[in-house]
Amino acid sequence: MSWDYLFVQAANGAVVGVIYALIAVGVTLIFSILKIVNFAHGDLYMLGGYCAYYVIEYLGLPPLLAMVVAMGALFVGAIVLERLTLTPLYSDATERKDEYGLIVTFGLAYFLRNTAVIAFGPFPLKPPSFIPGVQRLGNLVVTNDRLVAGGVGLVLILGLLYFMQRTIWGQALDAVSQSRDSAAIVGINARRFNSFAFGIGAALAAAAGALVAPIFSLAPDMGVLPNIHAYVIVILGGMGSVSGSIIAGILLGESENLFTAFFPDPTRAFAYTNAFGVLVLMVFLIFRPQGLFGRRHLRME
Amino acid sequence: MRIARPWRVSAKLAVLIGGIVIASSQLVGTPAKAADPLKVGWVGPLSPPGGYAEGALMKQAAELAAEQLNAKGGVLGRPVQVVFADTRGKPEEGTAAAERLISQEKVVAITGEFHSSVFLAEMEVAHKAGVPIIAVDVWALSITAKGYPEVFRVAPNQALIATKYGDWIAAAGFKNVAVLFEKTDGGQSARDVLLPVLDKHGVKYEVVGADPNSTEFTAQIERFKSHQPPFDFFMTAYSEAGAYPMISQSHTLGFAPSPRTGIANSGGPAVDPTFWKNVGEAGKYLVTEIVGLPKNAWNDKTKAFVAAYRKKYNQPPSPQAIENYDAMLVLADAIERAKSTDGKAIVAALEKTDITLGRGRYTFSTGKDPDWAYHQFMNAPVALVQYSKVGQEAEDAPIVWPRNIADVKYTYLKPGQ
Amino acid sequence: MRGLHVYVLIAAAGLALALAGQLNAYWMHVAIIAMYYGILAASWSLLAGYVGLFSLSHTAFASIGGYTSALLVKWLGIPVVLGIGAGVVMCCALGGVIGWVCLRMSGPYLAIFTLGFSEIVRIAISTEDDVTAGMAGLHTAPLFQSATRLPYFYAAFALLAGSLLLMGFLVGSRWGLFLRAIREDEQAAAASGVAVARFRILAFAIASGFAGLAGGFYAHYIGIMTPSVGDLDEMAKLVVMTVIGGMERLPTAVGGAFVVEYLLELLRSYGQWRLPLFGVILLLTMRFARNGLVTPFWLRFVRLGEARVGSRSSARDLTRKDSAT
Repeated sequence: MSWDYLFVQAANGAVVGVIYALIAVGVTLIFSILKIVNFAHGDLYMLGGYCAYYVIEYLGLPPLLAMVVAMGALFVGAIVLERLTLTPLYSDATERKDEYGLIVTFGLAYFLRNTAVIAFGPFPLKPPSFIPGVQRLGNLVVTNDRLVAGGVGLVLILGLLYFMQRTIWGQALDAVSQSRDSAAIVGINARRFNSFAFGIGAALAAAAGALVAPIFSLAPDMGVLPNIHAYVIVILGGMGSVSGSIIAGILLGESENLFTAFFPDPTRAFAYTNAFGVLVLMVFLIFRPQGLFGRRHLRME
Repeated sequence: MRIARPWRVSAKLAVLIGGIVIASSQLVGTPAKAADPLKVGWVGPLSPPGGYAEGALMKQAAELAAEQLNAKGGVLGRPVQVVFADTRGKPEEGTAAAERLISQEKVVAITGEFHSSVFLAEMEVAHKAGVPIIAVDVWALSITAKGYPEVFRVAPNQALIATKYGDWIAAAGFKNVAVLFEKTDGGQSARDVLLPVLDKHGVKYEVVGADPNSTEFTAQIERFKSHQPPFDFFMTAYSEAGAYPMISQSHTLGFAPSPRTGIANSGGPAVDPTFWKNVGEAGKYLVTEIVGLPKNAWNDKTKAFVAAYRKKYNQPPSPQAIENYDAMLVLADAIERAKSTDGKAIVAALEKTDITLGRGRYTFSTGKDPDWAYHQFMNAPVALVQYSKVGQEAEDAPIVWPRNIADVKYTYLKPGQ
Repeated sequence: MRGLHVYVLIAAAGLALALAGQLNAYWMHVAIIAMYYGILAASWSLLAGYVGLFSLSHTAFASIGGYTSALLVKWLGIPVVLGIGAGVVMCCALGGVIGWVCLRMSGPYLAIFTLGFSEIVRIAISTEDDVTAGMAGLHTAPLFQSATRLPYFYAAFALLAGSLLLMGFLVGSRWGLFLRAIREDEQAAAASGVAVARFRILAFAIASGFAGLAGGFYAHYIGIMTPSVGDLDEMAKLVVMTVIGGMERLPTAVGGAFVVEYLLELLRSYGQWRLPLFGVILLLTMRFARNGLVTPFWLRFVRLGEARVGSRSSARDLTRKDSAT
């Protein structure tokens, strides 16, 4: 295999990886702060994409602005959902909070996905490109949309990092993710920040959906695979680590691409790509459960 | 805060849920039933993980058929009522749906289905109960090969479709084909029939299986591109939503369609309503199959159906829709001739079907050689078309195969020509 | 008198068996499928409810059991019952291995790990279609040659009853106590002398074995086996069933399976709205009756015939959750 081939596959893997990371970052946030596994994340991503599509179709807004609108809509919507369904997480009457969150988000996913088929119709839709055309570098061909998605995604993730490390609200979020009780002691309203975190997580998922729509098209079940990718990334990067998500996302994108590219049996290479990503995840869980950058002590308090 | 006695909460919740269920039944209620409706069952995927896009099209066609039949006074003087069952692409749902339709709803016959594995489960139930079941868009050979008298098929099957692709690929002069199939019953059977035909013609190929949920094919396409000798054709058997990004990516990355490499997609998405919106330019020069009559052979029935479908649903009918519509009419015709709703009588009448509808003259073979010919609509039209313009509708696309109905001189239009 | 509920149950069971023949084919099918899910739900509640191991690979084991049985019967021509037995053994062994691998994992980590395993199994079965027939469906030999579904009804009933008895013995014994101790606080249990590792592995092995049993029966009942038997959709449905019923007790888990299966069939007339409505019902249940809808009814039922000592003590009893049933 030539170096050129390797370069092309690796470069594509990196671009796709950043896109995966954007989806995963929302899961990381929700997981580290609400301590729940959000199985409906893929469907929030799907809703964000559709929202942006309809905003472009019916309000005529440019795609980037539509993305912001979708983020806003999902932010609000998610907080409403959180208030409606997740508040038992905070009362002491709930015994097993981990499972509760899992199950409720299962139910949510079921509801959202199947309602989407009815509401949006089953046929795939595609909003117009952010920037039509492609960039070429030798044999490497990357569509502008992918670069935009990767770039904007990176900006959003870095923005989130900045927010969490440099602003008061972000630091409060971080505090809640480390220890809810201690955060309460210093006067942080954990309940409010939980809703806030869920909203931000959903907004990031919506952004991902809007960015990705021109690349992969919109379909009601488009969130199924990204959901699994998101979990692989969250574990690989370390639950609770936003910067870990970026690295892990790129790592996942690379491993999938390189597996498809080089696995000796061409008939099976592509078919087992997703299984490979999951296998990497499982190996990490056995030998290094805190992932690359995660904190060791993540437990319900 | 003391929680209320749990069983009271549970009881209240149960009542609440019961109330919601009953209340919504009023909203989603079935239309008012006139005197003694003739119930026909419909099975197919309407939600994930099944092929819900095609299922929706089939459902629409069945509804249109029922509407038109009822406008003319129904069947045997009774209004036709179609009872729909969502089978989601899962065999156990198929069994449950078939059982419910037969034992509970007491349908006189069943039509539909898009997934072979589900139909295989459904037909067992129908066979045990002696209820006729018409396969609308399932292509597995074993469906008719099993020899159940209740089973009839209006769709072509893989032997008829994939064979055409194989023959056409050879005739068009391709020597080195990249085959990508989706890991579903449809994709698998396409591969199983296509490869031996390619072998017969001495065409070389490489086969790749893909997860039906995939949307990212870049790595695989780059791998195809790096193959030596270069592939001159990209044959895809892929029916899920990912087909669109696949075709777009293949085109953007310069693989196919391109002057060097052609592309075909079998399975349905290339003729679905949002095809062009999703793939744009990448769809030009793509080859796909249509399982209705080619436009130059349309008879009055075809034209009437297409017009009615367009009027009601604002889209051109897909092949699956045409098949489902015709299946309903074939059934109605058989019931009228049988003058009865008894299963055996309908089966006997179906065997004698000889009616011309939108897809041509319907007859069912009663021979068993080959074994899949039994109760198969042998003359099911299948044609391969190649899009020559962006935004072109499938019915207008030039037919390239079989040559006796082709309406262009070339067998394959190379991009750039 | 104490234990009245046991007699009621036995009477109800007898009635069900006697009247089974009256059911039409559709409802009999629904009942059989409900019993299939009942075995799965009970064994999953053993793992997730009693031991606290929230495994998402349970339906994958059902699929492994089903395929193992179907393939062995097909290749070796052994009787179906032996095939199912082989499937059970395979699942016990594999379940034990997974349990061992997961020893240091808990909570969401365990969930995601087992989810990963489930996906790998599904992808492998679907890809290796020259062996498994993949999504085209593997035809299986039927368990009974019969014109009606009735023998399957009795078989499913026997399997469910047998499974519940066996699992009931387990949780009622000292071992059951150990399992629950592990759920409450693993370190404290270890400090009290519970061989945590051994019991975690055992729990996985036993639960997976029962899943394999259910899967084997299912394979030879439906007649066609596809990878979708073990997919995430099925696992989600199982979780929903068990939780709606009541995750922490075997009978309530089974009750949940029946309730949800019946509900899903009932909602069929809603066409496309079936699943969204189902999601809403799930959300409502989780919001307002998170210990399970069936649990409080079961707890009352269990106290049938007990003299009323006073309303306060009944209320106290209801909220205690350490009883074995």
